[in-house]
Amino acid sequence: MRFRLPLAGLLGLAVLAAGCGSSSEPAADGKAAITYAIWDKNDQASAEKIIAAFQQANPNVTVKLEITPWDQYWTKLQTAASGGAAPDVFWMNSLNVRMYAKGGIIAPVDDAKAEGLPEAVVDGYRYDGKLYALPHNVSIPALWYDKKIFDAAGVDYPTADWTWDDVKAAAKKLTDPAKKQFGIMAPMWDQGGFYPTMIQAGGHVLSPDGKKSGFDDPASIKGLEFWTDLIKDKVAPVAEVYTDTDPIQLFQSGKYGMYYGGVWFASTFWSNPEIRERIDVAPLPAGPAKEAVILLGLANAVSAKSEHPAESAAFAEFVSSEPAQKILSDSGGGALSLRPGTQDGWFKAFPSFHLKETYEASMPHGVPYPATLNTAQWQDVQQKLLADAWAGKRPVADVAKEIAVQMNEILAKE
Amino acid sequence: MLSKREWVWGYLLIAPMALGLAVFYLWPIAQTLYLSFTESGVFGGHTWVGTANFTDLLGDEEMLGALGNTVLYAVLVLAGVPVAIVVAALLNVPGLRGMSVYRTLYFLPVVTMPAAIGLTWRYLFNGDFGAINYLLGKLGIDGPYWVGDPDFAIYAIAIVGVWSSVGYNAVLFLAGLQGIPRQYYEAASMDGAGRLRQFFRITLPLLTPTTFFVIVITMINALQVFDLVYLMIDTTSPALNGSRTIVYLFFEKGFVQNQRGLAAAIAVVLLGLILVLTAVQFRLQKRWVHYE
Amino acid sequence: MSRPRTWPAHVILTAGALVMIAPFVWQVVVSLQTLPDSLRVPPKFTPSWEWSNFPEVFRSVPLARQFVNTVLVTVAVTAGQLLLCSMAAFAFARLRFPGRGAIFMVFLAMLMVPGELFIIPRYEIMQGLGWLNTLQALIAPGVFGAFGTFLLRQFFLTLPKELDEAARLDGANPLQIYWHIMLPLVRPGLLALGLLTVMWSWSSLLWPLIVNTDPEMMTLSAGLASLRGQFQTNFPILFAGSVVASLPVIALFVFMQRQLIAGIAFTGSKG
Repeated sequence: MRFRLPLAGLLGLAVLAAGCGSSSEPAADGKAAITYAIWDKNDQASAEKIIAAFQQANPNVTVKLEITPWDQYWTKLQTAASGGAAPDVFWMNSLNVRMYAKGGIIAPVDDAKAEGLPEAVVDGYRYDGKLYALPHNVSIPALWYDKKIFDAAGVDYPTADWTWDDVKAAAKKLTDPAKKQFGIMAPMWDQGGFYPTMIQAGGHVLSPDGKKSGFDDPASIKGLEFWTDLIKDKVAPVAEVYTDTDPIQLFQSGKYGMYYGGVWFASTFWSNPEIRERIDVAPLPAGPAKEAVILLGLANAVSAKSEHPAESAAFAEFVSSEPAQKILSDSGGGALSLRPGTQDGWFKAFPSFHLKETYEASMPHGVPYPATLNTAQWQDVQQKLLADAWAGKRPVADVAKEIAVQMNEILAKE
Repeated sequence: MLSKREWVWGYLLIAPMALGLAVFYLWPIAQTLYLSFTESGVFGGHTWVGTANFTDLLGDEEMLGALGNTVLYAVLVLAGVPVAIVVAALLNVPGLRGMSVYRTLYFLPVVTMPAAIGLTWRYLFNGDFGAINYLLGKLGIDGPYWVGDPDFAIYAIAIVGVWSSVGYNAVLFLAGLQGIPRQYYEAASMDGAGRLRQFFRITLPLLTPTTFFVIVITMINALQVFDLVYLMIDTTSPALNGSRTIVYLFFEKGFVQNQRGLAAAIAVVLLGLILVLTAVQFRLQKRWVHYE
Repeated sequence: MSRPRTWPAHVILTAGALVMIAPFVWQVVVSLQTLPDSLRVPPKFTPSWEWSNFPEVFRSVPLARQFVNTVLVTVAVTAGQLLLCSMAAFAFARLRFPGRGAIFMVFLAMLMVPGELFIIPRYEIMQGLGWLNTLQALIAPGVFGAFGTFLLRQFFLTLPKELDEAARLDGANPLQIYWHIMLPLVRPGLLALGLLTVMWSWSSLLWPLIVNTDPEMMTLSAGLASLRGQFQTNFPILFAGSVVASLPVIALFVFMQRQLIAGIAFTGSKG
């Protein structure tokens, strides 16, 4: 068998050509073509429906959806933004919005367009007094519980009136070391875990002006100890368990009575028939000082360099409008729509879960997610140091004070 | 005789490769060296900062941790090299049936993509549901949270590192063993040396050139470990403090946090580390490697 | 001389072989379990025949597309390596030209440099060309390699001198000598380099992870990593993906193992 040069060359060229062909874009025939970048595959179906509705109302605009997985999303966005080629409209979170606003990558939005949207979420997208993105969904942490484990232990299900003491008492009763069964899980989670308990205990994460850390406030420390005590009392598994197996999956093993998780886990849990039957959800229990639920919502930002700024802004506005929010709800995916009064479709997708009650009890106690310009930087410090507290290697109070010192240094430089 | 035509052909034939290497190897080396003295802006551009990146790295807990983890990993993986020698020696037992079947099985991990291997072992090492702790439990040992605990993570990764390279190294050793002339063994048998004695007196000394090659290659590869760490340890796991390697840190700084200048400095440090350790190996070889 | 006993060797080798393949068997078993089954204590060692994990993987990541990408990249890189490395190797081994030794030393020096040193500038080259998220970004740097050149040069050096002289007397030019006479004779070297390149290209993770962030343009290795990002520790789904991704190279290896192992053994003796 003889292998001839021209043949090999042609083969190589053909392969290269096959690779190149795929990156070309269809030419737009006089229409404004804009791109919309998101990271959650679970939102693909609803996003496509929303785009279809928008295109019907605006026949001169076509919207192309781009999905990039979370792990790559920010790297890709940052690279594209550096090259001046960010997508026209893209998902933004309140952690990153200030950096993009300061860098001039995203364009400010007229504040009036956010009218009717819950302020606790909208406020997360303000920087220097201006609004930089329009939120379109909301994530609410809540208390998931395993009815089967509650029934077996003869404990009443959680209600909207529950407090920390109820959680602790129930966790104790539900724990059964012989069965390797724990009353609750205590993963090191900010939004639905230690941030709300810090505030519920009367403490704070950040001072209202965003210039000082609240970690050294004795009340905040009490909020952190709520979690480490659960581990210390052996009613929750040790810290390593949650890094070995993701809590969402751990909860589905049927060995844990309670779990501070997101309402948006509903679709994951619902897709598992075995789990669907045995679990339900209640609002976060109240702390010694007050009730507090940290709300986070994703938003759509418009690129400052978009070639079609008007169309892009119109699309971002449309996604947060009532018709689009209803489409999002009715698709019954992972995300809960933000605009009040549009959620019924979503609740109905998971009929046996008490999501509506949880939503209604949680929203009035909504608190914005704490963020500053360099949120990622101080969160990094916070995660690293708290890991020692969770692992029981250092007292919580020491760790919290050290976080406050380092965080204040970072905040002072902003 | 040197004909001019031959020159021309010579240059023409190496031209494509030389050009490619210049663009994708030589220029990047120069550029990385340059970038290691700069700081990258969040949204592009870089400014000259002198040796600031290197002095920052010197005092950076993460970098020092990564250096320590990487060296520990390399030592652990090197400690696994004797396993490959034993496997090769056993495969080389005269008259062994099914040798190629064994060789295939030992080689399987080498051809499997590290991404898949990392995922599999991550589950095997799971503290609660993993098979390894289950088996240890049968022996009365309470296994740790291998990949969740910063004190154990690098050992777990090294076990996988050894497991996935035994087959490759055994093949190299086997080739070395087959190069040892039979007469040596026959002579030793006549003198009444047992097989174990032959192994230590003949096999090991005559295998030292291969051993040297395997050690150098294993060390260089181990110093660049990334895939297994990336797949076995979550990006937010506290265990990362005990398992973050130099290349992992390079990836984090360069392509998650977009600090390209700092990442370039990390790559330069890695180059220095590899060059120094390889040079040490070559110096030491005179003391223990026997060339016939 | 008495025949040595082989059973102790069999006992140890079999025990070792079990350790080698158990993770693979376990991976296949768990890929056919439900999530709760994969989280049992003690572990459930039998499949629950949950075939739906496989379609679920294909729904979550464009696995079929990534499979095609991986095949295209691997084929192109391997073909490019074989052609370019053999050309350069032939020139270094059989032709004389000024600067040959010096240029070859530069090639060799590059074997010492860790791959991480190339990544950032290569990334910037790809960005400049507008090649991020394309297959050629994965192919272009991969077709050039100092290692392949070095390996094949060793093969060309072993061929007798008389071969070129005879051909030259017949009026063949170096290109013809390379293509018609020498290349067929170094076929074992080409095969070894080809198989090694396939193996490396199929598995490589860091570069594909960095340049191609669009799932449609990823290779299987990066695809698996992003599957991990999506499903965290949902091992049945992750393993379904792993099985699909690693099977082709394992199959290729089972068929070509003799040649691959010969190639690796050769790198040991000549390296």
